[in-house]
Amino acid sequence: MSDSENMTLTLRVWRQSDCESRGKFVDYEVNNVSPHMSFLEMLDVLNEQLIVQGEEPVAFDHDCREGICGSCGVMINGQAHGPDNETTTCQLHMRRFKNGDKVVVEPWRAQAFPIVKDLVVDRTAFDRIMQAGGYVSIKTGQAPDGNSLPIPRQDQESAMDAAVCIGCGACVAACKNASAMLFTSAKVSHLAQLPQGDPERSQRVVNMVAQMDAEQFGGCSNTYECEAACPAGVSVEHIARLNREYVKASFCSTAEATIQAAE
Amino acid sequence: MSQTVLNSNIPDGPLADKWRNHKNEMKLVAPNNKRKYDIIVVGTGLAGASAAASLAELGYNVKAFCYQDSPRRAHSIAAQGGINAAKNYPNDGDSVHRLFYDTIKGGDFRAREANVHRLAEVSNNIIDQCVAQGVPFAREYGGLLGNRTFGGAQVSRTFYCRGQTGQQLLLGAYSGLMRQVSAGKVKMYPRREMLDLVNVDGVARGIVCRNLKTGEFETHAAHAVLLCTGGYGNVFYLSTNAKGCNVTAAWRCHKRGAFFANPCYTQIHPTCIPVKGDYQSKLTLMSESLRNDGRVWVPSDPSDTRTPAQIPEEARDYYLERRYPAFGNMVPRDVASRAAKERCDAGYGVSDTGKAVYLDFQRAIQEQGEDAIRAKYGNLFHMYQKITDENPYQSPMKIYPAVHYTMGGLWVDYNLESNVPGLFVLGEANFSDHGANRLGASALMQGLADGYFVAPYTVGNHLASRSLKPVTTAHPNFDKTRQEAQGRVEQLLGVNGKRSVESFHRELGNIMWEYCGMARNAEGLKKAADEIRTLKDQFWKQVFVPGSGVDFNQQLELAGRVADFMEFGELFAKDALAREESAGGHFREEHKSDDGEAKRDDENFQHVAAWEHAESGDSVRHQEELNFEVVTPSTRSYK
Amino acid sequence: MSWLTGFLKSSVGRKFVMAITGLFLCFFLVIHLSGNLLLYIPGGQVYVDYAEKLHSNEEFLILAEIFLFAAFALHIVLAFSTTKDNLNARKKSYRVVESKRKDRAWPIAFAPDYMMMITGLIGFAFLVVHIADFKLEWMWTDALAGKSSAQKVGIILGDSVRSVIYLAGSLALGYHVSHGLQSACQTIGFNHPKYNRGLKIISIAFGIIVAIGFSSFPIIAQLVPGMLDFPDIVDVEVSRH
Repeated sequence: MSDSENMTLTLRVWRQSDCESRGKFVDYEVNNVSPHMSFLEMLDVLNEQLIVQGEEPVAFDHDCREGICGSCGVMINGQAHGPDNETTTCQLHMRRFKNGDKVVVEPWRAQAFPIVKDLVVDRTAFDRIMQAGGYVSIKTGQAPDGNSLPIPRQDQESAMDAAVCIGCGACVAACKNASAMLFTSAKVSHLAQLPQGDPERSQRVVNMVAQMDAEQFGGCSNTYECEAACPAGVSVEHIARLNREYVKASFCSTAEATIQAAE
Repeated sequence: MSQTVLNSNIPDGPLADKWRNHKNEMKLVAPNNKRKYDIIVVGTGLAGASAAASLAELGYNVKAFCYQDSPRRAHSIAAQGGINAAKNYPNDGDSVHRLFYDTIKGGDFRAREANVHRLAEVSNNIIDQCVAQGVPFAREYGGLLGNRTFGGAQVSRTFYCRGQTGQQLLLGAYSGLMRQVSAGKVKMYPRREMLDLVNVDGVARGIVCRNLKTGEFETHAAHAVLLCTGGYGNVFYLSTNAKGCNVTAAWRCHKRGAFFANPCYTQIHPTCIPVKGDYQSKLTLMSESLRNDGRVWVPSDPSDTRTPAQIPEEARDYYLERRYPAFGNMVPRDVASRAAKERCDAGYGVSDTGKAVYLDFQRAIQEQGEDAIRAKYGNLFHMYQKITDENPYQSPMKIYPAVHYTMGGLWVDYNLESNVPGLFVLGEANFSDHGANRLGASALMQGLADGYFVAPYTVGNHLASRSLKPVTTAHPNFDKTRQEAQGRVEQLLGVNGKRSVESFHRELGNIMWEYCGMARNAEGLKKAADEIRTLKDQFWKQVFVPGSGVDFNQQLELAGRVADFMEFGELFAKDALAREESAGGHFREEHKSDDGEAKRDDENFQHVAAWEHAESGDSVRHQEELNFEVVTPSTRSYK
Repeated sequence: MSWLTGFLKSSVGRKFVMAITGLFLCFFLVIHLSGNLLLYIPGGQVYVDYAEKLHSNEEFLILAEIFLFAAFALHIVLAFSTTKDNLNARKKSYRVVESKRKDRAWPIAFAPDYMMMITGLIGFAFLVVHIADFKLEWMWTDALAGKSSAQKVGIILGDSVRSVIYLAGSLALGYHVSHGLQSACQTIGFNHPKYNRGLKIISIAFGIIVAIGFSSFPIIAQLVPGMLDFPDIVDVEVSRH
């Protein structure tokens, strides 16, 4: 790899010291960016520069750096996880950028995702949606043999298509309404398509939607930006399934939300 | 000398009956008494999430801690290939005994028979449990569960969810955990890092942790502490572990008395994407399952510079198929890794660095069609293409071994309890089940076995059989330990040098990879220990940790972890030096057979080495002899 | 009925009601446009007969109007209520916003799904004017007295201010339903790989038909006034007296 392919970029990064304080954009020039670097490795280089200058580095969430843990995620020039489809920020490589590019880097913005610091946001709202019903109520040791219940392969595959959600929050970030419908529907759809999820399907969807609303996520306007931004390729057809499940549960079952929106 | 200290508490009786008998004999906590007990679970990967959920279901009050923003992000999520179980659904002759035997053989006869047998016994329950949680395991057209083959086995016993098995299993365990959070039985503490263990009267009774969001130090008291904090692969800086994976919690427990067992047993995974440049922050694994259909080769002529597509069959050396005809590309990981290193060291490696071999799917695509391959490995191929910008459907992948898993860990007895009473260690954080090498698809099995089906029994036994007096965080030991932990953090902030934490971590990683990597020798190991000591001194003089300790400060988190990695690295080298044999992932160049295979020394080293911390720095090596009642240790051959 | 209030308070429930009312209004647009197109049958008598037939059943008409107004009211009220929540969900907006959808033809700020509120509001304003003109004949009392229903169209749309309003309203409405129809189907849960493409095409085609169909009247009234001039038809109601 020759140095000649290395680039210089101007980053406009959102800096905010904590949830309460006012943030602002700060411009940084990053030199020696190799096209083989991942976006996060480029931020590492920036941080190394800042540390050497005695400045505080830019905080960003990251962990596995292979696109599965869902920790990382920033808005890159107005796109969640940057320009590539089905890609997390850690998988985005600098070969997608050109020498001299200006790159605006912002955190996920949503009332339900308060900023912790710089590009780091608090996504525990997702955990609370899961707590509202994203599970099958089965105790350890109660399970029958794994093969006692055949599941048509297409159902299992379709459930898997939904289950691959990594919980990164890009759907919320990309949605003009900061809606968590794709996230919530992925879990509802995953479990609704499997016999194991059937007994609780009505209660589940009613409660998860109630919690989603209580967290102050917006509603769905079917702009499908979430699907385009989703690094795991979760389809909006799961949102349609959630809608069906929700209406069915509301009108044809006794399930009622046990979650009240916080005032 | 050490048998008095290291009582592995293996139950009596025939191997196959030990666990059943033990379950019958362990003491129970009455249902209405369970709510009187508090349990701390540190780490929320497969072991931690499953243990926390299962204990909470039983009625205990659980507090669960993780450093990530959500328990769902623990690094178990990155496991791709699958999970083993002895279901014998494919009717190919599998059994609990075979799974047990393969695992113990795969571990190069350096694991405890009784533990491994129990693991094989509960493996089937894990599959049932996960299916019932809604884990969408791959299925056949008839609707029943499918299996794939993994390294080190001649049966198909691996259950999988595309290339995201770890993710799906973790989300299953996480969903159980979330259910208990909503039931009020688990209190979740995300973005917390455990910084110390609090012992009261020699029993683990609590932890000190730092709230990573606010910088506050917190103390939590309980009747038992479960450490499920994963492995220490990041001591090598570059590994397939997540960036946050660290040894701190385990190391702090070690410094509070828990023995560290077999730190030198590290697994180098053969199929990872090779290193590209010095900026590289981590390595990405390509699942071992790829070796089911992928064939590993290098050009027969080291000077062959043609593109892989131009190199004809006869000019290719499928060295795994050549050297190990019985297992071919499916030899265990340590064997495959060393074989790749051997070829690259001999000058046959490909890519600009010469540190890569080909993993080729051409034949599989020809035979099965691209769609079939896409269905099996689509996400892995996608991931590969994302990182390398090369299309593996058209040209072979380039792969090279990388640090992946650590078999060593805190020493535990049969009950998964460390030598500090009340401190249980589960999953990768303990040393117990994989010996000197872990077979593919066994880590998920062990994490869930420990969490779902072992700890809920043995923790109950601890609570019921020891009369634990009530302890709260008001006990002076909590404040004392908190002050010590806080002191270390302040010390880090106070160095105020010029070098970044990351640069120290990289340098440590280089030392470790150079001298403690795939091949080790006495001279190198001594050198490693010396260099690490020097580096450690420099660290405490030159490191610069920007920011303050009272808010979200990722550099500070990292600094604490790197400081512990350096202390740990020294012990690692020491352990590797003391083990004068080659076993599994531990390959000493002085100890190999004429054809270059690992050579064990059963006479002198058929034991677990468990290190006791000493403030002087001279850690004490204890031994737990491994007695094989059922299997006969043999030379591991996959030829 | 707490389940029903719960449903109607939830984001999904409100969208569902919007989708149902939206689909009903789309159905109404089809009927309305079909009826209006009768104006293009030379002579204008067919249209007048149709209008007369429509008005001959008072009870049906009142019922239909109640339904229509209820649907409009619900649709509009819920649009405001969900939009308020949606705006509250992100109080601090991004510096830059760029779509990741590959099938977007133009910048999202002008895309139909991003302009639903604006096109809806324009449509609403148009509706108010339209009802004032044709239903209440507000400000037109003298000009329309004794004219046939067909002739009234020509007179009202002959007004240049009206024709601009009607043109803008029709285009906005077409733009609105080009997203609205497919969006409503998704919201009521209709999404299937077999039909998604077809639905999208139908939805856009419907938008175009609505836009062209309704806007053709003000355009023709301005450009070819003779086409909407029917002096020969005597209003039936007037002649009865």
